[in-house]
Amino acid sequence: MTDRDVNERLLRLNAALDGELDAMGSLEFEREMRDDPAIAAEYQRLTKLREAVRRHAPREAAPQALAERIAALMAPAPAASAPQAATAPTATVVPFRRRPWLDSRALAMAASLGVLGFAAGVGLTSLRTPAGSGDVAQHLVTDFARAEIAGQPFDVASSDRHTVKPWLANRTTVSGTIVDLAPEGFPLVGGRVTIVDRVPTPTLVYRHNEHVVAVTELPVDAKLARGTGGIETIDGYHVARWSDPNLAYVAVSDMDEKALSDFIEAFRRGGAPATEPAKP
Amino acid sequence: MSSPIAEQRFREIVPPLLDDAYSLAKWLCQNPTDAEDIVQDAALRALHALSTVSVDRPKPWFLAIVRNAAMTFMARNRRKTVAYVGDMADLDTLDLPEGNDAAPNPEQELIALQDGERLRKAIADLPSPFLETLVMRDMNGLSYREIAEATETPLGTVMSRLARARAMLAKTLRAEA
Repeated sequence: MTDRDVNERLLRLNAALDGELDAMGSLEFEREMRDDPAIAAEYQRLTKLREAVRRHAPREAAPQALAERIAALMAPAPAASAPQAATAPTATVVPFRRRPWLDSRALAMAASLGVLGFAAGVGLTSLRTPAGSGDVAQHLVTDFARAEIAGQPFDVASSDRHTVKPWLANRTTVSGTIVDLAPEGFPLVGGRVTIVDRVPTPTLVYRHNEHVVAVTELPVDAKLARGTGGIETIDGYHVARWSDPNLAYVAVSDMDEKALSDFIEAFRRGGAPATEPAKP
Repeated sequence: MSSPIAEQRFREIVPPLLDDAYSLAKWLCQNPTDAEDIVQDAALRALHALSTVSVDRPKPWFLAIVRNAAMTFMARNRRKTVAYVGDMADLDTLDLPEGNDAAPNPEQELIALQDGERLRKAIADLPSPFLETLVMRDMNGLSYREIAEATETPLGTVMSRLARARAMLAKTLRAEA
């Protein structure tokens, strides 16, 4: 037997072990094993070796800290757009955390609406100063889509309005209304800062089943939020605007119209008793 | 700053492969802390790359980045010199005397296989081309073709390195038995 034959035989043994032989090769190899006990014995040894390798040197789970570092690579820096971010002491800031329902949501949206191309234009869109209410709504829809696709609809993740409120208050000039709507089926999941007309503005994020609604609160004198309370559709998202004596609100959501109407009704109803009074 | 598209692709590709990436990096650099740095570096490279490329086979693609990040890291930080110098071709000629002569002692080898500590040591001592091939095959579960892709090595070389890695392991275990 030449060296070349020995080599070939060994390569074939390993390939057989690794399931890399095609059907004809396997057939031939089985025949060889049957005819030559030495090959069969060697195959046995190799099998045992590989079993031992897999048993004693298995794939290891990455440490949780590493997973978090990796996830943080993608977190946009909300602090950059929030002047006082560094001084906020109380809030739990979650740079990014995987939430399966958000991920699947983002994927589904990307697929069904072709939002990806739209989101790619975010940089461009946010450069444009909103001139009228339509532009503000458009801007907020863009912001909503971007946050959804990034899988991070909030900068602060908390279902506790007493956590979210001070976090937002420290970063924005609008002292917002935060309503507890969990009993109505719209639990608060967090808040984020949205830049509207160069002003950091609080946005509350509520969840409803697999859907998300983001309510941005604006000074009532802002030119934008003269809404009728009706629901319009922008780029496939539902947008509603309304105001009360203190604030104007714009809600953007991927919920259907009915659910969004219910939400707004609950929000407006719940707003009065549940909220701390907004500063004038 | 990465684009939303890059982040989306990144999220689909990288987190599911984190265990594979970490295991590979840890075997290559043999230090858990360094392995974390390597994987983070690789993830960053991947994130940048993903704004311009889309990836057909994520696993060999990302593990190739991890491997390259590990090599960069080792070249920069390794106090220990790499185990071999010179012409790699020498390493790839299959030269396995123990296959024929010196009838192996199967019992000793079997006993040695029970000793996880010693087996891991024997694996860690493999020269890196053999080590990476073995790890990609037996820990990461890549196919020969995927290993060839990840290591930018011809298929035949992958096959001979793997065969040789296993033969070297067996030989070490027998020798020490």
